[in-house]
Order: sequence, then structure tokens, then C-alpha cells
Amino acid sequence: MLALVLCLYVGIITIWPLGQLLLTALQSGDAGEPLGVMRDTLAARATSRAFWNTLTLSLISVGISTALGTALALAVGLMWMPLKATLSFLILMPLIIPSQILALSWIELMGAQSPILRPLGLALAPGQGNPLYSRFGIALVMGIEHMPLVFIAVRAALRGLPADLVDAARIAAIPPCCILTRVILPLALPSALAGALLAFTAAVGNFGIPALLGIPGRVPMLTTLIYQRLNGFGPSVAGQVAVLALILTLLAAAALLLRGAAMRQLRVPVEAGRSFQPARIAPAWAQALIWAVVLLIAILPLAALILTSFVPAIGVAFSLEVASLDQYRRVLANPAVIRAFQNSLLLSALAAVICVLVALPLAYLAARRTSPAIAAMDLVAEVPWVVPGTVVALAMILAFLPPLPVIGVSLYGTGAIILIAYLARFLPLVLRPLTAAAAAGDAAEDEAARIAGIGLTGRLGRIFAPSVAPSALAGGVLILMTAMNELTLSALLWSSGHETIGVMVFSLQYEGNSTAAAAVSVLSTLLLVVLCVIAELALGRRRAMALPWRA
Amino acid sequence: MTRTLLLSIALSALALPALAQTLTIYTSQPQEQMTEVIAAFNEEHPEIEVELFRSGTTEVMAKLQAEFAAGGSPADVLLIADAVAMTQLKGDERLMAYPEAPTEGIDAALLDADAMFFPTKLITTGIVYNTDLVDTPPTSWADLAQPEAAAQTIMPSPLYSGAAAIHVGTMVQQDQFGWDYFEMLAENGAVAGQGNGTVLEAVARGEKGYGVLVEYMAMNAKAQGSPVDFVFPSEGVTVVTQPVAILASTDAPEAARAFVDWQLGQAAQQQSVAQGYFPLGAGLDAPEGYPDPASLTLIEADNARLLADGETVKQEFADLYGG
Repeated sequence: MLALVLCLYVGIITIWPLGQLLLTALQSGDAGEPLGVMRDTLAARATSRAFWNTLTLSLISVGISTALGTALALAVGLMWMPLKATLSFLILMPLIIPSQILALSWIELMGAQSPILRPLGLALAPGQGNPLYSRFGIALVMGIEHMPLVFIAVRAALRGLPADLVDAARIAAIPPCCILTRVILPLALPSALAGALLAFTAAVGNFGIPALLGIPGRVPMLTTLIYQRLNGFGPSVAGQVAVLALILTLLAAAALLLRGAAMRQLRVPVEAGRSFQPARIAPAWAQALIWAVVLLIAILPLAALILTSFVPAIGVAFSLEVASLDQYRRVLANPAVIRAFQNSLLLSALAAVICVLVALPLAYLAARRTSPAIAAMDLVAEVPWVVPGTVVALAMILAFLPPLPVIGVSLYGTGAIILIAYLARFLPLVLRPLTAAAAAGDAAEDEAARIAGIGLTGRLGRIFAPSVAPSALAGGVLILMTAMNELTLSALLWSSGHETIGVMVFSLQYEGNSTAAAAVSVLSTLLLVVLCVIAELALGRRRAMALPWRA
Repeated sequence: MTRTLLLSIALSALALPALAQTLTIYTSQPQEQMTEVIAAFNEEHPEIEVELFRSGTTEVMAKLQAEFAAGGSPADVLLIADAVAMTQLKGDERLMAYPEAPTEGIDAALLDADAMFFPTKLITTGIVYNTDLVDTPPTSWADLAQPEAAAQTIMPSPLYSGAAAIHVGTMVQQDQFGWDYFEMLAENGAVAGQGNGTVLEAVARGEKGYGVLVEYMAMNAKAQGSPVDFVFPSEGVTVVTQPVAILASTDAPEAARAFVDWQLGQAAQQQSVAQGYFPLGAGLDAPEGYPDPASLTLIEADNARLLADGETVKQEFADLYGG
């Protein structure tokens, strides 16, 4: 019975919408020729341009992510230096900050009016366009945003590096540089590759950066092309955009399959044992270099954003004389901004709670009472997180735009459609850690309780739930924080009265009010930091290790 | 007894939609301005709660079409840049007539013959320039097309902005401009952004020297301290009237009429002026620093042709400046 309800739930929020998307993409053309829509769309010049932009810019950005992420991970992982924890947190910053805010802060940093570069005399001469509104800009900012994915992967590999191996090499009098290239790098390579492919998936599905840099720069990517087509022409182009979404999905899926294969093929089995602990203190020049990189990628853009939010009007250069809190006063007096904060908080809190409540029984059944149907559901539930967000949003529109059967109401244009999209997309964020915890847990207790005649709800609530509570909490927090600032889903699904913070930043910028957009961004980043702190405090020291930024 | 009861229930069910006091407005006016508009409207009508969807005119229209396809739009009132989009909706029988609307004092030429939509303000399109970058401001559209100026020019795209659609549509109807003018601009290096917002951003930030822009955005930014100024070109300016209309499918016709009445009334007109718009009716002065509206040369548009050529204009423009 419980299994049936869960299957129905996953069916409605995931299988049906994604199935609609597939059907729409495969429908026949106006004249009834099979796969007509797909053939027309694939033949269109706009499609191939967006496809090649997405592919090449994602690849370049992955190059940047990999080089930067690997270098930083090696530096932080192999050398001892003061303030290492702070450094790690700052390196992870670009991933924690939502992409539209990251793009906005880079625009402020690199523009002719840059509050940071201008006083230093480094800003571009006025009259030149912002260099970031270009292919180069998109690849650079995406590369920086996804760098932490590679960093995390390589860092984890270095943690597992056996100390005996390094010691043996040292005793054999192999010079340090050769130990790095011949011993350590080969062991870290599979992880770097896995991180790089993850960064590729993220880049392909990124919406915030192409939207803020690529739309003004006229560099269409697949995600922004879907957004622009849908906004400019309405649902009459559903078939076309569904095909574009399918291409996106294939790109992301290819990278993930490759990642799985790479992980299997390239993994070098090493003996477990004492893991390598850095003993060498990093030389001063190396420390200075690392801090310079962190300053550039994590601190300067945010500083530019904050300073811009104190400027009274766009185009005015920042100085202490003109600095004021006017923008904050104005955005806080704007009910739409307040509503956006309320909506985002409410939607992401609801999504977190519901996802945890659904993931608990699902993980329980998958681990303790597995059946082919449940195993399939467990797998299907991953899909909306794996495919790009734009694809999920589009699937939701296709599924929930027509009025619902029986009640005859369309969910399109309500907050419910955003919530459903969040539920589908973010479920794996809690389901994955929960299934892992459940699999690691002891099945005997459950068995004993069952023999003692305790019902399913009793076992779920009193035995299973407490045993996996830390993972559930951490997963819930992760959903809350991810959903709070997302733009990709709500950009396509928002409607009057149901704005989200991400949409607010995007539309203020689009209206020509980037100073207000900067103020809202600063406020939402503050909110994010406050949530981080609350999560740390609420979870306590040990459990907080499960939080994403502790990686 | 049962009959009376049933009847009264039926009647109250009929009356319910009329009592619904939530008004949903779809508009292309900037968010912050609409906030002030709604606050002022609520002073007079505290019982009506207003919800808002704001985007460029083209996107508002796309959203409406999407919702019509989904079985109905929650929108009650539409307040968008141009009369041509309204005429299109009128042709699709999506608008509700309101012959009793208080239109005294408004130039009869601006009114719809069937009282389906009503002008609320005059918005003109002219030239904005960055005062840090430009020493000798242009005085005419012809100046803007000169190579040095055009290379530094950005304009809004009709694919996004209703005012831009009317601007391009009107200009190409004129003998002295035509498509030749836009071809010359493109050849000399002018580019198109998206909406008017992107033009203001680019010019105020000094990424471009000149822009084609609606006057209130430029004048408001100037008043706030942005390094921009605005020119009403000597050949004339193109005009949109930001019409307001009630959708035929509204579930709150009373509230919608109250909003239209209020928009056409003195209080809203005064607020428009304070927000940097030319007033529509006689008896109000233009905002400070603006020329007398009577002294402006308006470039006349053939509205029937604007409607008929709407798609062609967008297509031609997209061919010249890219989608």
C-alpha cells in the first residue's frame, strides 16, 4: 500500500511530466510526417548555433574548472598552511553563491564603472562594452562557478592517499616533483576526471550565467534559447523547445555515463592504511599565490557587488561621498521584493519538509523491503536532478498547463507548479544520503520489531527515522538552501504573486535596475549565510560534517 | 421556501465573481513604479487587493496567449505599452468594452472607437546619451545615424519591447526614414539590446555612448544622478500611449472598472507626471525639465498598417540586427 502511494507520487511529479516532454519532442510535424518537429528543429540554424555554443563553452569552462580546481586541491591537500579551513570555505564560495548572483557580481567587477578596478586604474576605458558579455565571459564565469566540483573530488582523493606510498617514494630518494607527477597525480587523475565531467553536466545545464551574460552578449545557449523561445512565442513552440530540452538531456547524460565508465576503468586500487598528512609548510610565495587566486575568484566579485549596491544610480562611480543605503530602502519598500523573499522561503521550506517525508519511506522500502517497483522508483527519482533544470521546468509546463482532469484547474500560473518542480528536482538531494544511511544501517532491529508485531508506521517512525535522522536533516537543509536561490526552474514557472528571489534579481537586472538587483543579491546572500550558520548550530558539530560546504 | 433558498444561493453564486476583490494586472510598466501606482490606487480603493505580473510587452502577450491556451488567464486588467497589441487582443475578442469610462479631456484621436482600451499617458521615444562620453549631443535622428555616433549606439528590440515595436514600425512608415534608416544604422555599427532596460544599462554604465530610449527612463535616471541626458530629436518623436484595458474573461469586472476609472482620473495623472511621464489630458504640466508637450513634434503612425505589418517589422528587424 505504502509502496503504491510512493509509486503514484513519483509517477505524478516525475514520470508523467518527463514523459510528456518526450512525447512532445517526438510528435509528428504539421503535415503529419513522423518526428517532423524534431527534424525541423534540428535543421534550424538557431539550434545548431546554440548547440555548438553550449558544447564548446561548456568544454572551455570545464578546462578552467579542472585546471583551477586541481591546482587548488593539490596546494591545499599536500601542504600545511595556516587558516586552511577558511581557505577551503572561500574556495567553495562560487558553488554556494547562486549563478545569477555570481554573474552579476562579475559584471560589476569587470565593467567600466567597477568600484574595485576603477580606483586602481585597471578598469576598461568607458565606451567599451563589458568584456564578459561574450563567449569568453560565459566560459570564464562558468569555469569559476564549477571549479569547486573538481576541487571537492580531487581533495577527497588526496584524503585517501596512502601515506606509505609517499614515504616509500621518499625513502627511495625520488625528488618531490617526481613524487607529485608519478605517484600522486596518477592517483588523483580519475577523481579529477570525474569532477570535470560533473562540472560539464553543470555547465551544460547552467541558466543563470548564460542568461545574464549571454543574452546581452547575443551568445545563445540551449538553456537560454529555450527560455527566450518560450517567453517570446508562448506554448505554440512547445514541440521545438522540447527537442532542445532533449538535446540538453542527452549532453548531460553522456557526460554522466562517461563519468561512470571512467570511475570504473581508471580507478587504481590502493591499499587502505594510514592516510597522507601534509607536513611541509607551504612556502610563502605559494601561500601568497593561493590567497591571490582566492581573492580574485571569491572575494573581489562579491566586494564589487556589495559596493555597487551602495551606489545611488547606475553609472555613478562608487565613492564614499555618494555611498548610501537608498537602494536597500527602495527594495525593502517594494512589496514584490518582500513577496519574493516570502515565496522563496515558503516554497523551499515546504519542498524540504515534503521531500524528507517522502524520502524516508522510500529509502526504507528500498533498503529493507526492496521490490522491482521500488528499485525502479528509486532510480527514476534521480532523473530530475540529473537532467538540467530547464528540462524539468519545461516538462512541468507541458504536464500541468492543460487543466487537471476532474477539477478542471490548470496549475500553470500558481505557486503549486513551482512547488511540484522543486519536489521532483530536489528529492534526490535527501533521498541519496538517506538510502546510503539506510543501507549502512542495521536491518536486524527492523526485523526484530516486525517479529514483535510492530506495524509499518511504528517501525518507520520509531526505529528507522531516528536511525537516519542526521542524514535526513542534512538533506533537508541542502534542499532548503538550493531551492532558496534557484532561478532555472522559477524563471520559466513564475507568475504574478509567485516571484522567487532568483527571478527578482533577474528581472530587476533586465529592467535596467542593476543597482537594485545588486541590493537584492546582497540581501539574499546574507540570508544564505545566516541559514548556513543556523544549520551548523542546529546540527551540532558532528552532524554538521554532512553539510555540503564542509566537503 | 426551498425555492427561495435555492434562488438566493444561485444569485449569490452569480454575485460572487463580482464581489471578488482581487485584481490581477499584467503590465509592462517598471516594478517600482507599479508599486507606487498600486499604493495610490489602494488609498482610494482599500478593499481591492492588487496582484501584478510585470514583463516586457511582448512577453506579457506571450504569457497571455499561453494562459488562453491553458483554459483562461487570471489577468483582469492589462496595462501595456502599445495600442497595436491591444488592437490585436480586441480582434481576438479578448477585451471587454467599457463605454462609460471617464474619457473627458483626452484627445479623441487617441481613443478606441469601441471603448475597449484607453490611453493612460504619453511615452515618447528619443535619444539618450552618456554625458561623460559625449561632448556634442546629437539633435536629430539623422545625427544618430552618422558613423561615429551609430558605432556607439544601442536600441531596444521590437522582439521585446512594445514601445520599440511601435518606434520601428512608425519610423519605417516615414518617407524620410524607412528601412534605409535602420540599414544605415546597422551598417554603421549600431546594435540592438533587449528591452529598454538593457539600453539604459548600457548607456548609463558607459558601455555605449548613445541609445534609443523612452524618455521617462532616461529622465528618471538623470534625476537620480546617472550620467545620462535625453534629446527630443528635431524630426520628432514616436509615441505610445500605454493603454489600459479590461479582459473579457475577468472575474472582477467591478474592481477592473474601478482601476480604469482611477487610471484616467486626476490622481493617477498627477502620479504619472511625478513618475516622469508626459500627462495625457489638458490641465497638467509636464514633469520638471521636460519640454512643453505642445512643442513636441510627434511622428504620426498609420495604426492600421502598424497592426498589419507587426510581424514583418519584427522579422525585418531580426534579420538586420539578429534575433
